[in-house]
Amino acid sequence: MPLDNEAFLKHLLATFRVEADEHLRAMVSLVLELEQPAPAERLPQLVETLFREAHSLKGAARAVGLSEVEAACTALESPLAALKRQEIALSPALLETLDRRIDTLGRLLAGEEAAVPRPPPAEMAPPIEAPAPVGVPAPAVERSERPSSPVPDAAGTVRISTARLTALLVQAEDLLAFKFSAGHLAGELRTLHAEVSEWKKACGTSAREVGILRRMRERAVNGARGERLPSGVDKLCDAVERDERVARSLHERLGRLLRTAEQERRTFGGIVNSLQEDMKQALMQPFAGLLELLPKLVRDLARDSGKQVELCVDGAAIEIDRRILEQMKDPLIHLVRNAIDHGVEVPAERARRGKPPRGRLAIAVTPKDGNQIEVLIADDGAGIDVEKVTAAARKLGLVVPQDAGGLSRDDALALIYESGLSTSAILTDISGRGLGLAIVREKVEKLGGRIAIELPESGGTQFRIVLPTTLANFRGLLVAVGDSQFVLPARSVERVARVESGAIRTVENREAIELEGQAVALVRLSEVLGVPIAAPAGEDDRHVQLAVLASGGKRIAFVVDAVLGDQEVLVKGLGPQLKRVRNIAGATVLGPGRLVPILSVPDLMKSALRARPAAAIPAPESARAPRRAVLVVEDSITSRSLLKNILESSGYDVATAVDGIDALTLLHDRQFDVVVSDVEMPRMDGFDLTAHIRQDRKFAALPVVLVTALESRAHKERGIDVGANAYIVKSSFDQSNLIEAIRRLT
Amino acid sequence: MTRPAGRGGAAIDWSEIRRRMADAERALEEQFVPAPGQRRAILEARARALAAGAPAEPGASIEVLEFTLANERYAIESSWVSEVVPLRELTPLPGTPAFVLGIIHLRGEVISVLDLKKFFELPDRGLSDLDKAIVLDDGAMQFAILADAIVGVRRLLLDDVQPPLPTLTDVRADYLLGITRQSEVVLDGRKLLADPAIVVADETGG
Repeated sequence: MPLDNEAFLKHLLATFRVEADEHLRAMVSLVLELEQPAPAERLPQLVETLFREAHSLKGAARAVGLSEVEAACTALESPLAALKRQEIALSPALLETLDRRIDTLGRLLAGEEAAVPRPPPAEMAPPIEAPAPVGVPAPAVERSERPSSPVPDAAGTVRISTARLTALLVQAEDLLAFKFSAGHLAGELRTLHAEVSEWKKACGTSAREVGILRRMRERAVNGARGERLPSGVDKLCDAVERDERVARSLHERLGRLLRTAEQERRTFGGIVNSLQEDMKQALMQPFAGLLELLPKLVRDLARDSGKQVELCVDGAAIEIDRRILEQMKDPLIHLVRNAIDHGVEVPAERARRGKPPRGRLAIAVTPKDGNQIEVLIADDGAGIDVEKVTAAARKLGLVVPQDAGGLSRDDALALIYESGLSTSAILTDISGRGLGLAIVREKVEKLGGRIAIELPESGGTQFRIVLPTTLANFRGLLVAVGDSQFVLPARSVERVARVESGAIRTVENREAIELEGQAVALVRLSEVLGVPIAAPAGEDDRHVQLAVLASGGKRIAFVVDAVLGDQEVLVKGLGPQLKRVRNIAGATVLGPGRLVPILSVPDLMKSALRARPAAAIPAPESARAPRRAVLVVEDSITSRSLLKNILESSGYDVATAVDGIDALTLLHDRQFDVVVSDVEMPRMDGFDLTAHIRQDRKFAALPVVLVTALESRAHKERGIDVGANAYIVKSSFDQSNLIEAIRRLT
Repeated sequence: MTRPAGRGGAAIDWSEIRRRMADAERALEEQFVPAPGQRRAILEARARALAAGAPAEPGASIEVLEFTLANERYAIESSWVSEVVPLRELTPLPGTPAFVLGIIHLRGEVISVLDLKKFFELPDRGLSDLDKAIVLDDGAMQFAILADAIVGVRRLLLDDVQPPLPTLTDVRADYLLGITRQSEVVLDGRKLLADPAIVVADETGG
């Protein structure tokens, strides 16, 4: 029982918190409304509503046993009650008191998270009434008559916790991975079907030849001495014909399977897409949720800086993904602070300039085409002094002095985003630290939006932010660098290009390339990431593949080995152990079980500047001296990549196989100078592989090195017997003895 | 006539045996059923011992997963192990410390894969398979460590676990519950999972 009570109380408190928050917000906006000059007949209604909000909160607080909150509500109630009875008049001092008391209440509620609640009312003695102000009748519990919040059409809605909604969203997103893998499976089936189709044709040809053979034989039987054909031929003919039948049936069944798979993939894909769309709709919230923070913020900031500011909000009902709304909270607050601190002047200054003493801050949300909205934050203040910005930038060493002369107004304005730049002569605690705008832009860009500063002719400053209304599915550009693949966020990829290596110029020891008449810094992704580059395939050294990335107003061209495609990907975190990895933002699943890292563009840009200036284009020396080719056969992925790394760093061209069968296939496809093989492997072990190699006259001279965990003499002898040229025991493995063995053998 | 029941003794004196057994039983009971005062004292002593968080009682055991790594035998308490999977695909991540081999995908989750040999800074000699991933999880932290082979699950008597020898000066010593008489290295799963040094948090940015 006590356990149940505890759980019940916890649940009750959680519900209370949501409710209290609503009451609090309603009270804040009501007080703000009271501060405005309003028609006298509205006054009683506002006071009444405010009183009822305080009263409802008091009742709720009492129900969950939070006596401090209850007392704070009472303190708020008494002046309101007096006001209602018209015993006192509404005065600025009274409003100030109300405001302060609501603040206290807010702090109490915020601090309530950790507070230990008293036992639930069921087990409690009758609650002790907080001393009610004289004349105010102690109300009965009236939790139901809470005035409805200004949410339009609350009928037919349910309240769901954001945590639960997020969990649902994550699950819906996880289905994306299955959609991708369904597509992948269908693709594999298609390939298989095509292969079987080829096989069926070959079988058909053989069967026809067998038919001819049989007819010839019949003729021979009908003729003189037919039985001369050996009896085995009959069996062989039967086998060929049987194979042909199997091939046909297999082909047909695979065809059916393929059609089903394609159909299911389409259906499933459609369901996943519409589920995601619906999930996104469920996550839409009116902008009001964010904008209602502002009146109080603006009023407090204005009061603190001795300014008068009127806030005009428009378009609060427009809906946007709540995740975007959450992310926009800090940037918006920052811009509002900036506008009041730097933009709007003090009344005296405004009077001198012939402006009304009260400054104006307008925030307008308007829908735009193509699932976008625009947020315009405009003040009628002093605007931005472009000269001052340039001077401040020069002081920071951002602009070379002679550049500044030719700096356009827009370029100079763009400087304002630079970290550390502030035109404010004094640092106030409100803003002026100069870090903010850089972060604002980063956040906006991260959401897939953009931001622009404008200085209208009429004066003031305005920030125009364009945001997507829903978080777009993440699209990525799949690129190859050496043996690795990476995903670049498509929204940061300005363009991909294939250019002649001759077009790369070296400017001040750094490489650059001209694109559309503009010099763009060029770096190699392999160097920035520190991954080994692939052995030059030698096919085309005259061209390089570029992906031009843009972030934070900078562009850098990254050299990659190949651009493999552009597709929708599901972003996953790297897990708790990898909290933050430089240059890597996450990972995505491509194909069954295969993870590909997603790169972080802001990190890459920073790393690129840090990377050592690239040496002149590396001469493909290997193009002249052909490198020796080694086939590594090993079933353990760890050992396989270790062997590959060791051999590649010693200058060998390495191919890998996972077992003996795989190795034999590769041996028939390509030329190798030496085989390095594990012994214990599935399907075909190293001994059998060596024996097969030795049986084939084509490979008579191909050296085989066995690397094995089997240390016994008998095993060693078996290795020598099947024809291995060297036998290296894993426990004493050392890269020098492997390299030495290979060097001796090739 | 009774004579001592020897090897070649023909007769067994059953009554004598019964008498001696009864004596023994009485002696046992006297020893184990203390007088009321004694009982109280014993109970109080036990209560104190329990309250003090007494050391593992003799005979206590833990269930461990045994595995081999670089020709050494290791064990880790199985309560920290969420599963063991064969390592098939591994995606290396550039820019991570050497002990992070890469990441794998396991039922919708990304799990990082660590090489304890490198984390413990053991000499890098020999070539081992390292193709079994043991996924460790304590609710907050999760990663996989690689093993050459899984030996199995067994119960391990805590009495058998000796504190690591003072001569064991490698990094490993910090993460051990101890070493068994059969020189099996028993890892401290709780410590390993809670160790901040194992978390990669490169705050330097790009």
